[in-house]
Amino acid sequence: MTVQRIGRTELPDEQRTALRRAIRWEWFTIAYTSVTIAVVALVVGNSQAMRTAWIEDMLSLIPQLAFLVALIFVRRRPSVKHPYGLHRVMGIGHLVAGVALLAVGLNLAVEAVTGLIAREHPTIGTVQLFGQTIWLGWLMVAVMAVIVVGPVFFYGPAKAKLAPVLHNKLLYADADMAKADWQTTVASIVGVLGVGAGVWWLDGAAALVISLGIFWDGWRNTKTAVIDLMDQRARTYDSKNPHPLAGDVISTMRSRPWVKAAGVRMRDQGQVFHIEAFVVPHRGKVSLGDTTDLAERITDLDWKVQDVVIVPVEEFPDGVDTSGRG
Amino acid sequence: MSADPGLVDTDRNTPTGSIPDLVAAFADGIDAEIDWTYGSEETLVGMLERGDLDLVAGGFTSDTPWMDRAGVTRGYPQIDGADGREIVMLVPLGENAFLSALERHLDEAVGAR
Repeated sequence: MTVQRIGRTELPDEQRTALRRAIRWEWFTIAYTSVTIAVVALVVGNSQAMRTAWIEDMLSLIPQLAFLVALIFVRRRPSVKHPYGLHRVMGIGHLVAGVALLAVGLNLAVEAVTGLIAREHPTIGTVQLFGQTIWLGWLMVAVMAVIVVGPVFFYGPAKAKLAPVLHNKLLYADADMAKADWQTTVASIVGVLGVGAGVWWLDGAAALVISLGIFWDGWRNTKTAVIDLMDQRARTYDSKNPHPLAGDVISTMRSRPWVKAAGVRMRDQGQVFHIEAFVVPHRGKVSLGDTTDLAERITDLDWKVQDVVIVPVEEFPDGVDTSGRG
Repeated sequence: MSADPGLVDTDRNTPTGSIPDLVAAFADGIDAEIDWTYGSEETLVGMLERGDLDLVAGGFTSDTPWMDRAGVTRGYPQIDGADGREIVMLVPLGENAFLSALERHLDEAVGAR
């Protein structure tokens, strides 16, 4: 599947390639995770830590699905009904994924704590494999150690590289969680080995650690998604800093001789920005040619800034960014 | 021991049948002395939970409702008199080594599925 355009934005070659790769990685992740879920189901047994890790695997499908579903919509051109395009679908997907992680993480944490309080002793027996009787715990450890390879060494880092190119926060969050999957693996292995060594509470403790990890992921994602949907100023793909494009837009505006003062309101629609560029012109006058030229110069800055409105004003409204810095 | 026709006969002081034989052989293998207790399933599971019993056996199958209150072995449909039922035995929760030893014994004595 090749996506040429999202909304009104023609994607440059670099983004087109990155998006194609991202889609391929998302499908790969879904296939890999499905196999993982099936394999873990065979060994999940009576261990709360394994059960929690298993549910985490199922939850980890949500960001991929949200991304792929959102892509169907964000490609549509803006219309009178949806004048800004449908870019926000990506943010909504992000929010849905975040809330799901938050709710289930909390539920699993409560389950782990009640199990610990009730002093539930997990019981792990044996299985017959190729005529040999082996302790199921060894199989759990082996399965967890093998399946962690995908997220930590393959699709996690791959998506982490693509997310900045596409300025896609959902993809970034997804990659971030995949890369952190080793923590789940370590916790579940410690839990299972603990049970084997007779330390019954290690299983519940491991389950608690894993579920708090899920809860934390949910909290971060929900927060980022909500703040973006509430139109905070555009920030970088990892939400750490204000996006440097704001500064570039302001300097481009200031570089025009007719511009006395310049400021922007730049919001992240999910991958692309919507820019309101406020200009105070010299001598209180501005020509149509000048504003059209300025709009073109701004859209030439970056593929993400294709929706620009030039607003000549006498005075900036509150909240306009005039420095482009944090 | 929970009585079950064909599997456990509790008419005498020492139970007879295919399951008591398996349990006795297992006890032999781990140098344990058996102190047989007869009772209803609920009584036996209660004693198991309190630590008064180490092993509960009888006509329990892998569909047993005591799953949450006891450690359950894998099912052994080949036990004589099982009639295709997946016979399981119950151990106290968290007794992983004991459960594993018991399953190992049953695998050798009756064979896994």
